[in-house]
Amino acid sequence: MIPNIYKGDYRLLVIPPLLLIIASIFFIPQIKMGVDFQGGTLISLSLKGAVGADELQAKLQEEGLDAKVRVFETAVGYKAEIEVPQSDDLVRAEELKGEFNEILPKVTQLEVLAYQNQSYSAEYTTKKAELDALGDEMFGLARMQRSQLNITGINDLQKKFSEAYSQVYKLYQESISQPINKHVEYESISVQTVSPVLSTHFIDKALNVVTLSAFLSVILVFLFFRTFVPSLAVLMGAVADITIALGAMGLFGIPLTLQSFAALLMLIGFSLDTDILLTTRMLKRKGDLRENAYDAMKTGLTMSIMAMVAFGTLFVLSVMTHISTYYEISAVALAGLVGDMFATWGINGVVVLYYAEKWRKS
Amino acid sequence: MHFYTDRKFLFLVLFFMLFAVAIALYPVFSGLFLISALIFFGAFSLIWKEPHIKLSGMALLVLLALLNIYLNGLKFGIDFVGGTRIPIILDQEVDQNTMNDLVQTIKKRVSVLGLTEAKVQAVGTTEINVEIPSNDETAIALIEKTLAHQGVYLGVVDGKVAVNGEHIFSSSIRSLSTSELAQQGADWGVGFAVDREGAEQFADAAKGKADYPVYMFLDRPYDAAVFYEETQFKKYLPPDSGQKEALKSLNDALALEGDDMPAYVLTDGQTDLTNITPKTNETQAFISENASSGTKAALASLGFKLVEVPESQIAPEFQRSRSGVLVLNKLECSGMLSAPILSGGVTTGVPNYNYIVTGSVSGASQQERHDEATQKVKSIESILKGGSLPVQISLGSRTSLPASLGSEFLKLSLIGIAFSLIAIAVLIGIRYRNITATLPIVVISLAELCVLLSILGAFTIDLAAMAGIIAAIGVGVDAQIVITDELLKRDEHTTAEKVGLAFGIIKTNAIVAIFSMVPLFFSGLVEVIGFSISTILGALLGYMLTRPAYAALVEKVLATERKGTQKQPEGN
Repeated sequence: MIPNIYKGDYRLLVIPPLLLIIASIFFIPQIKMGVDFQGGTLISLSLKGAVGADELQAKLQEEGLDAKVRVFETAVGYKAEIEVPQSDDLVRAEELKGEFNEILPKVTQLEVLAYQNQSYSAEYTTKKAELDALGDEMFGLARMQRSQLNITGINDLQKKFSEAYSQVYKLYQESISQPINKHVEYESISVQTVSPVLSTHFIDKALNVVTLSAFLSVILVFLFFRTFVPSLAVLMGAVADITIALGAMGLFGIPLTLQSFAALLMLIGFSLDTDILLTTRMLKRKGDLRENAYDAMKTGLTMSIMAMVAFGTLFVLSVMTHISTYYEISAVALAGLVGDMFATWGINGVVVLYYAEKWRKS
Repeated sequence: MHFYTDRKFLFLVLFFMLFAVAIALYPVFSGLFLISALIFFGAFSLIWKEPHIKLSGMALLVLLALLNIYLNGLKFGIDFVGGTRIPIILDQEVDQNTMNDLVQTIKKRVSVLGLTEAKVQAVGTTEINVEIPSNDETAIALIEKTLAHQGVYLGVVDGKVAVNGEHIFSSSIRSLSTSELAQQGADWGVGFAVDREGAEQFADAAKGKADYPVYMFLDRPYDAAVFYEETQFKKYLPPDSGQKEALKSLNDALALEGDDMPAYVLTDGQTDLTNITPKTNETQAFISENASSGTKAALASLGFKLVEVPESQIAPEFQRSRSGVLVLNKLECSGMLSAPILSGGVTTGVPNYNYIVTGSVSGASQQERHDEATQKVKSIESILKGGSLPVQISLGSRTSLPASLGSEFLKLSLIGIAFSLIAIAVLIGIRYRNITATLPIVVISLAELCVLLSILGAFTIDLAAMAGIIAAIGVGVDAQIVITDELLKRDEHTTAEKVGLAFGIIKTNAIVAIFSMVPLFFSGLVEVIGFSISTILGALLGYMLTRPAYAALVEKVLATERKGTQKQPEGN
């Protein structure tokens, strides 16, 4: 089995995890954002036969579609993933929609007031002009002619404005689906379009969630140990682990999506698990400290291996089926589990052992 | 041990039966019942220290889980069974309450089509996903049409259109303030404004019609008639009224220039309908689905297109106006949903831009009155807005997943579950080289898997939930490893101390795992909620039930084993 790594000058054990962390920090900026957080469209196709990715990408780009194409061979046939970035028109249309909806109630209120009292006319006219300007821009984006729309009043304007927005959305989707339909033969299609508003919403939510999770974890750890150094050591272990997982995402090109984000959150819990195991054993058990640390490591490694078996299975499944949910969750979890071994036994273990030895002497 | 005299055991069995009955009777809530059962049995296996109670708590929960799978089956997302996902894009961001209303309304619309299997979920603040386990082109087209449908509001005074939905400023529709209500002497009220054309139309239609009702229609059908059988119609009559008066008020309400919707009361068994003829060959005849087949056949032979509606939609509601006239208040099948009475102020013929609809409530208690008023305001607002959707919507591109691919995914995922269970069992065996320590771990893992599958399957197992289930198999054994390692250690600590220490670690771990995932669960990020649920449930299940049960089991097994080894000491 594994020898007791805590015999001798165990302080040297921090070197491998530190090197890993430095390497990770280098790779973190290379993390790719998935459509969830970046916006855009991801199309997954089950193909009828093999297609060259580069060839297809070139064909789509000829049609003016700025697409990235990947083709996979899976246990259930060929699959293609086509990623298309957000369109500027759609981003602008959403901004227009926001502004339009904001001033609309004011304009209708002024219109009613202006019917009854002439003195509101001037204000109404300027506000109405603002609304019309927004409308004109939207109609432009939707390739509609205002003169042909025959708009009768504000209610009608609102309706046509909505239709124009839908049209912009539809044009964007058609600009994607038409070239694909022309060049690809597929059995099934899945289209995931994340609008700018939605991606902003996802980012906001994700930030809220991660802040709250981190805050709760820190509070809980301090509540359980009630001493500063061990608590800090536990948290350092978790932070190191997440850093290594993020580095692996950058290195291996695992995109940051809602799924990989969920896996990262789970890693907080998992890496704290081994850290808490180690720290509790060190502080509450009698007997030789280095033996205890070694015993804790044996238990901890068994735990990690079992988790790796499960996530490894999921990873193999994801390679076979190319289900992106499986891939993103399992790849991040596996990277985190490896990172956790280094972080827990290299950093947390060393700090807690050092602290406990000093503490027993005094 | 006599189980049948053990009060604690009988107590658990009693609750097991209650939960079992609940799961059988209310399949819709089976997931919630199972979670309650998990917490309930979990709490008792933490409080009561007897090993056999801990073990039976676990066993009963597994039985409940299996019972639920047997009775109600497991629900899988469209990724596993195939189907279609239609994203609905809202034309503006909405708050949480509006979003909930929207989701409910869309659910209702879809379920009218008989698609109770449809799943409607909010995604962020601007999108709603509708998932149906079907790839049938015509069904999907019908759903898309139903979803995209915007209602048309029509206010009719004495057979003339007074208010047309397109002239109402939708952003001006509001609930009246308390001071406005006090001024009006009303319990509830809704205000709205119309544009110039609308004001003129109203002034014209309402001129000299004080005390007339405004019949408010939502999606009034074109070219239709309503039919009743006499015995049935008599049941709808108010106590102070006769058939003739009621029929007149029905016809008044359904009258509209150029498109009257006549109402008829047929004598039971009457087959001679010579005085009735459909206006066109497209004329719809609304009739109760409970009407006699003879009447239905007679109408059909006249050339009507029969529309059979439930009793509740064709039963008219009446009220009396201040001047004592019997007025139709509601007739759902015609789209007539409310009939406020015109006050004198707006019937002078002078255009008016701001209107209010007010009314009183009849509830006894303060709370009832308040609820009734809120309900009224909500319904009038939604009628005026032309349907129940408060925002404009458009449909995004649909995703269709073939059932064959889904079942392939499901098969592979189930193989994955089985594989990781076996792999973990083998590894545990190699690690401990001790069948008595290994077997309980495997048995308990299986039990956990059962409960987890049953609970998640009562909601929906989507890709993220499935990933969570596979992960839970690996993470779930962790705590059992902590206990086993602790118990197998031969040192100065007593068994009780060891179990205590192991439990301390497990408790801390479970709490941290749960709290780090809870924010995700409440985030509304539907794509990954399944994953957070399975992680949280896995930790909860482990801490509350499987760990205590496992500790009880292993302690017993190891104790008997030690006795055995003491009798025949081996030199090592």
